[in-house]
Amino acid sequence: MSESPNPSTPESLRFEYVPRPGLFKLTVINFLLGIITLTIYRFWGKTNVRKHIWSCVHINGEPLEYTGKGVELFKGALMVFGLFILPYVLATQGLKFVWGEGNPTIVGLQSLFALLIYLLWGFAVYKARKYQLSRTLWRGIRGTLVGSATTYSLTFFGSMLAKGFSLGWATPVMNTVLQEQIIGDMRFGDAAFKFKGRAGPLYPTYALCWLLSVGVVIGGLVFFSVEIYNWFGPELIAALNRVFHLENQPPPTDTDFWSVTSIFGALVGALISFMLLIPMLWAIYTAKEMRTFANYTRFDGAQFKLDATTGGIIWLAVVNLMLLVFTLGLAWPFVVQRNVRFLIDRLSLEGAIDVDRIQQSMAAIPTRGEGLADAFDIGGW
Amino acid sequence: MAVSAQYFDGQSAKNQTVSVLEDGTNLRFSGDETPSTVWTISGLHAVDPPSPGQPYRLTHDDKPGARLIIRDGNFIATLVSRSSHLKGGYSKSDLSHIFGWVLGGLAVVAALGYITVALLPDRVAHMMPESWRNRVGKQMETSLVDNARACHSPAGDAALGSMIGALAEGTPELPPISVHVYDIPILNAFAVSGGNIILTRQLVETADAPDEVAGVLAHEIGHVFHRHPEAQLVRMEGVQILASVFTGSSGGDTLTSIAGLAALLQYSRKAENEADAYARETLTRASIDPIGLKHFFEKIVKLEGESKKVSGSFAALGNLFATHPGTEERIKEITPLPAGITAKPSLSDEQWKALKSICG
Repeated sequence: MSESPNPSTPESLRFEYVPRPGLFKLTVINFLLGIITLTIYRFWGKTNVRKHIWSCVHINGEPLEYTGKGVELFKGALMVFGLFILPYVLATQGLKFVWGEGNPTIVGLQSLFALLIYLLWGFAVYKARKYQLSRTLWRGIRGTLVGSATTYSLTFFGSMLAKGFSLGWATPVMNTVLQEQIIGDMRFGDAAFKFKGRAGPLYPTYALCWLLSVGVVIGGLVFFSVEIYNWFGPELIAALNRVFHLENQPPPTDTDFWSVTSIFGALVGALISFMLLIPMLWAIYTAKEMRTFANYTRFDGAQFKLDATTGGIIWLAVVNLMLLVFTLGLAWPFVVQRNVRFLIDRLSLEGAIDVDRIQQSMAAIPTRGEGLADAFDIGGW
Repeated sequence: MAVSAQYFDGQSAKNQTVSVLEDGTNLRFSGDETPSTVWTISGLHAVDPPSPGQPYRLTHDDKPGARLIIRDGNFIATLVSRSSHLKGGYSKSDLSHIFGWVLGGLAVVAALGYITVALLPDRVAHMMPESWRNRVGKQMETSLVDNARACHSPAGDAALGSMIGALAEGTPELPPISVHVYDIPILNAFAVSGGNIILTRQLVETADAPDEVAGVLAHEIGHVFHRHPEAQLVRMEGVQILASVFTGSSGGDTLTSIAGLAALLQYSRKAENEADAYARETLTRASIDPIGLKHFFEKIVKLEGESKKVSGSFAALGNLFATHPGTEERIKEITPLPAGITAKPSLSDEQWKALKSICG
């Protein structure tokens, strides 16, 4: 546009989370209005929470602004409901009535639908990201994704297949490819993000986590079967037989009940600790991947840095889980806030950027939001 | 008094320093790179509510992409105290928009709910071919009786057959009926899809006269005649679909299940009344004394005081005692045969003995 009279100077960008009061109030209002409107208000509730949290993210003292509207999310959900979910549910339920449960055609239809969901998953992720970027302003300039959601969703589908067939070993490569695609499409105004780097450096950490997980599972199984046998041996088998009335055994005694109960207790305990231990192990890889991907990302020549640690991620996830469990999910705005804050507190950009030069992009902006992502329950952050 | 502020024009990320003045109706600002601009206060919108330590951001109807950012606390306080629409949050037009969409959404849900609960089930139930009704009925019967023994004896079966024959006479539009007695230690009778009626051993043994069993059977045949079990199946399926589709992924399931259950219960109450009316007509047509049914109902009410037992899953069926409220009124509705009709015994003494001992 017009030439500025004085040449602008590049500045370095600082990210800061500056909390403001009001999130608790929003949470309560969302809950109450959710009840009154039979959950329809959730689209506006989600929007208000984003407005609040976005406005707490300051870059060089200038807060972000979320300009999305509840009605955009509502329309997106209506589209998916009408074009996708309702026809599917009506078709399968109707056919179930006509042909009975377990009919091969219905099973086929359901598998086809499952396949469709996998195919569309990446599409939903991309569209949701695009919507959120286009509704995010900083200094009056919005972001966007300029690429094709279809291409991304095909890559995404391929990456799921590759991960599955390689027993997970394709994960670092595929995640790198996906990240390169979506970051490469990302713009702030007319300024571009770039992602460049190899998956190689992720592999030692990946191998470590993979082998540790397998080790934990096998080790745990061996340990428990040996222990169980040592503790009880044939005694236990006899007790189990009596408790479960197998083969005309004499009636079970109190001791029988005790040993059987303690065995099941031990098994359940083991299962829960596996379920907690294994995700914790994988936090090592997640932290490594986040740090590496940040290093691979550039904006207008400046390089990102993310100081994510394994312990930090575990703590984030554990507290988030507790928050959700103990409030029956009502505290989700605080979970979003914690996630955003986790990133902002650890994110930095090395190098200076000539921000004044950045112009608004003329790319078309989406008019509806996140229908599919909402249906699939894909979190924004 | 003019204060310093920042201006972003929505075209460039350039931070323009401006000086702002406010005179109660207009906001005027200009700067080195910013031409002199007048924004009416009535056209202003606050991006978020004013909050200490946070910049206060304004935008204007004339230029929705531009942002004016003020940090001077006094200036903000004066501006906001005079113009309540600058306190942030929803404006009146926002609220009416939201209200409209939410109301529209609720109306669509209500319409779909009405179709699912009130319009469709009866029609679908009457359109269902015999083969589906039977297949579904067999499934329901199997899951309902849960491996209980089916009671049969040649004389008992014959007695039941003659009773059904008497009750079904003169109604050619009635679908085929088959009645089974099961050795189940609860007192109940059910009509399931496909014209299948289940009586429990305890019901047969609790009855003191054949007229009582005939009355119960007439009621269950009423359910069959009106296709109540089939309609209720369609209704339950529909409510389930609606609830799952509507609440989507996040929360609210309990709320909608309660609403759905209320709708279902309402319809089973209506079904009970229809079946009662059908029973009254049928008994009159077959010249069987309805007082038998009345006695039996009274017996149930007494027993019920001792134990509450009909569980929720039975609500789907044409259950004899479903939806308790109003049992007393239902009893009152049963009147003796009209004058001029002489009651005939519904079974002979030998037949009655055979039926009573059908479970051995």
